[in-house]
Amino acid sequence: MKHFFLASILAGALALPAYAADYTIIAPANPGGGWDQTARSLQTVMQQEGISGNVQVQNVPGAGGTIGLAQFASQQKGNPNALLVGGYVMVGAILTNNSPVTLKDVTPIARLTGEYEAIVVPAASEIKTMADLVEALKKDPGAVSWAGGSAGGTDHIAVGLIAKAAGVDPTKINYIAYSGGGEALAAILGSQVTAGISGYGEFESQIKAGALRLLAVSSAERIPGIDAPTLKESGVDVVVENWRMIAAAPGLTEEQKAAVEADIEKVAKSDAWQEVLKTKGWQDTYLAGDAFEEQLAKDISATEAVLKDIGLVK
Amino acid sequence: MGTFDFLLQGLMVAAQPMNLLYALIGVTLGTAVGVLPGIGPALTVALLLPVTYQLDPAGSLIMFAGIYYGGMYGGSTTSILLNTPGESASIVTALEGNKMARAGRGGPALATAAIGSFVAGLIATMGLAFVAPYIVKLALVFGPREYFALMVLAFVTVSSAFGDSALRGLTSLFVGLTLAIIGIDQLTGQTRLSFGVPDLLDGIEVTTVAVAMFAIGESLFIAAQGDRGPDRVEAVRGSVWMNAADWARSWKPWLRGTFIGFPIGAMPAGGAEIGTFLSYATEKRLTKHPEEFGNGAIEGVAGPEAANNASAAGTLVPLLTLGLPTTATAAIMLAGFQQFGLQPGPLLFATNPQLVWGLIASLLIANFMLLVLNLPLIGLWVRLLTIPKPWLYAGILLFATLGTIGANPSVFELGMLLAFGLLGYVMRVFGYPIAPVVVGLILGPLAEQQLRRALSISQGDVTVLFTSPIAAVLLVIAALAFLVPLIMRARGRGEVLTQLAASED
Amino acid sequence: MTKGTHPSTQTRRPDWAALTIAAVLAVIAGLIFWDVSRLIGLAGYSQVGPTTVPYAIACCLIGLAVWTAAEALRGDFPERDHQEIGPAAWIVGGLVAQMLLLNTLGFSIATGILFALTARGFGKRKLWLSVPIGIAFSFVVWVIFAKLLQLSLPAGPLERLFF
Repeated sequence: MKHFFLASILAGALALPAYAADYTIIAPANPGGGWDQTARSLQTVMQQEGISGNVQVQNVPGAGGTIGLAQFASQQKGNPNALLVGGYVMVGAILTNNSPVTLKDVTPIARLTGEYEAIVVPAASEIKTMADLVEALKKDPGAVSWAGGSAGGTDHIAVGLIAKAAGVDPTKINYIAYSGGGEALAAILGSQVTAGISGYGEFESQIKAGALRLLAVSSAERIPGIDAPTLKESGVDVVVENWRMIAAAPGLTEEQKAAVEADIEKVAKSDAWQEVLKTKGWQDTYLAGDAFEEQLAKDISATEAVLKDIGLVK
Repeated sequence: MGTFDFLLQGLMVAAQPMNLLYALIGVTLGTAVGVLPGIGPALTVALLLPVTYQLDPAGSLIMFAGIYYGGMYGGSTTSILLNTPGESASIVTALEGNKMARAGRGGPALATAAIGSFVAGLIATMGLAFVAPYIVKLALVFGPREYFALMVLAFVTVSSAFGDSALRGLTSLFVGLTLAIIGIDQLTGQTRLSFGVPDLLDGIEVTTVAVAMFAIGESLFIAAQGDRGPDRVEAVRGSVWMNAADWARSWKPWLRGTFIGFPIGAMPAGGAEIGTFLSYATEKRLTKHPEEFGNGAIEGVAGPEAANNASAAGTLVPLLTLGLPTTATAAIMLAGFQQFGLQPGPLLFATNPQLVWGLIASLLIANFMLLVLNLPLIGLWVRLLTIPKPWLYAGILLFATLGTIGANPSVFELGMLLAFGLLGYVMRVFGYPIAPVVVGLILGPLAEQQLRRALSISQGDVTVLFTSPIAAVLLVIAALAFLVPLIMRARGRGEVLTQLAASED
Repeated sequence: MTKGTHPSTQTRRPDWAALTIAAVLAVIAGLIFWDVSRLIGLAGYSQVGPTTVPYAIACCLIGLAVWTAAEALRGDFPERDHQEIGPAAWIVGGLVAQMLLLNTLGFSIATGILFALTARGFGKRKLWLSVPIGIAFSFVVWVIFAKLLQLSLPAGPLERLFF
């Protein structure tokens, strides 16, 4: 859906006059999606808080962000004013697409926000709890069909992790990929599949309307305002966060990197950013520096392992 | 307050002079941008949405509705007059509409499109208002196997767009199906036919192919005719308006198109194109003038245009009741609604009735304005054909590339535009029909994915494809649509059909 | 498009252009076989995996290639009008020029050249007139879409001169 212009126009209208560009943020996705919204929000906050006089957002869509990533790594090398929005989906896409450019070829700065996965069943389903679902999965993994986003994406990885944690062979999961959480939603509501998995936001209004039953969320601790146990509490030791991050160009000096880090920290700590998180319903999972790099390395190796288990990566 | 009170209240607000003016401005802008070849409704709505931000909520909602319907309608004009549809849903319109325009009947073709759009928009908007909750339940019953059956039906009926040769029609279709394989396989994440080119990973954009094969292919073809082609098309032969026979032949297709387009548009995986294909095939089967099909039959414009607009209203059903955008246009509209504080979802009709009914009233008013604006303009639009060819086609190519550049200003995308333009030209030279390529590109992935999903859910049990009642009915219809003409021909009653099949052009 | 007399089918020689089409179809089929054969089957619970449909399409393409070849040999293809390659080449040249110049010279100049070359293809020979007209027209379009409607169209020296 390349004609997904709205958000670009929306933000363009908000961003008003054109001064000299300070930062250019690359959103490696079509306007409208999560990464694009993150980039647009950063743009607004940076300008509001006077961190940068003018910020431009550029969309380079395609292939789970790997096209934008590759272009960013080659074209912006050594440019301290270029930023790239990315996220967990990229980790999986790099592996499944055999992308020659990886996150090692850019300079990750910080994790900004994240969304947790929600596991739901239709309201009429006989499955009442996560334990029921796990039991059904153990009995006959093929009989439990899961609807979620594209193959190798966060939803698919989460199902693989759940199966693994439950002691079920991850290659045996019956995962039905849809082009996005929205399209999967129709299949779940129509009881075409056993269960559904996607970001909580995709299901929120249907859960509130009572059309879907929320079994568990994939966070480490319970999320305030969401009435459901975590996977961990339900006996499935899995934590999945579909995080979004900001990265700088490769080949920066230490001072340049520190300057970007300082700017991003200012953004993350600002009231305007907190307001954005609140209105968009995003979790504040800001993490920077060594802690973030450690977490990133851990995520990459865990993802690689599960994608191999599922059979998507050789 | 009851349903009707809300609607009446909404209509009262919408009918204030100032709001009528906003509706007119919205429709004018929507039509003006939507009419440019290569710029489809999604792009039109996206581009013009910010214009509405300046107004108060009621005026803004009304102008927005006007832009939406204007953009939906605008595409058919260039389709009919210039054979250059700007988007996939008006391809079928070009089949008959352009033949009519070439025969000097562009006026009636545009009129039946405009009135058909109005009739369909009216009925479908009322449908949205009163039966949305039921339609959406029906739409949810459609699982992978039902969609697969629907695709089978669509494939069978596509043959009516094949033109005179089964061989060349099938070849075109399979070229489209081949193009459809390119990219990441959605169900396993593996890449197919992309040969390591990252730009191909997301597959080939339908819009690019449609614009390239129609607008660019057509321009190349006309240019290559040299001076032999008619220097100037006779814009109007006979009346610019519809005559009594046109009316008599149009009203049934309008209604049938509406009833085909609305439910299919409401299905989460339906889309506007499939409705237009099915409507065209239906009209071709039912017409009393089969000899005119392929040479400019008015039914072939009236039905698909009505289906196209009805599905535009149908798209709003899952959008409003489930919060589910099913087309690019709908995804942009979703963002537009959020601007008005309208949060689509199952609770919308209950929690926010004023806004919903305000929107529906706005759609009705906008639909009416569309007719008011466009009927008088038809005389002007057909004058498009009198622009000297060099400037006309230079302008067409400008706008055709504008849409692609705006979506993705990459050299690769423009290269694809050129390559498919050349393909479209070569296919025209050899008498291959163009529409089946786009049809294959749209239907191919849908059919494949739904089949694989259905079999995956059933764990490989093939019988599920036939055991659901809806799927079974659809498959039976498909079988009948396939077999009946064969039997008719075999029994010697199909002289007309055989004659048709044998005659070229 | 094929107005004209029906060709008599008996006396026609093999249609080499149509045979080329048949060959191209067969090559495409071969390409599909070659590319898809390296995929992992990975059908999961469905017998129809990522390779099934491409293989089916490839088989049909081979069938169509054979059919096309047969019609070509019998001379069943419709007669084609004489094509004037010159005018079409001007338009193709315009599209290539636009593609190559777009990101360096910006939308207006690149598209203006496309505009003028297209007009040339349709018989307007005065390029010194049509190039400026094309650039001016494209610039107006650029202003409307890029500035007024915020569509992102590449800017070049001309656009930067004004904005």
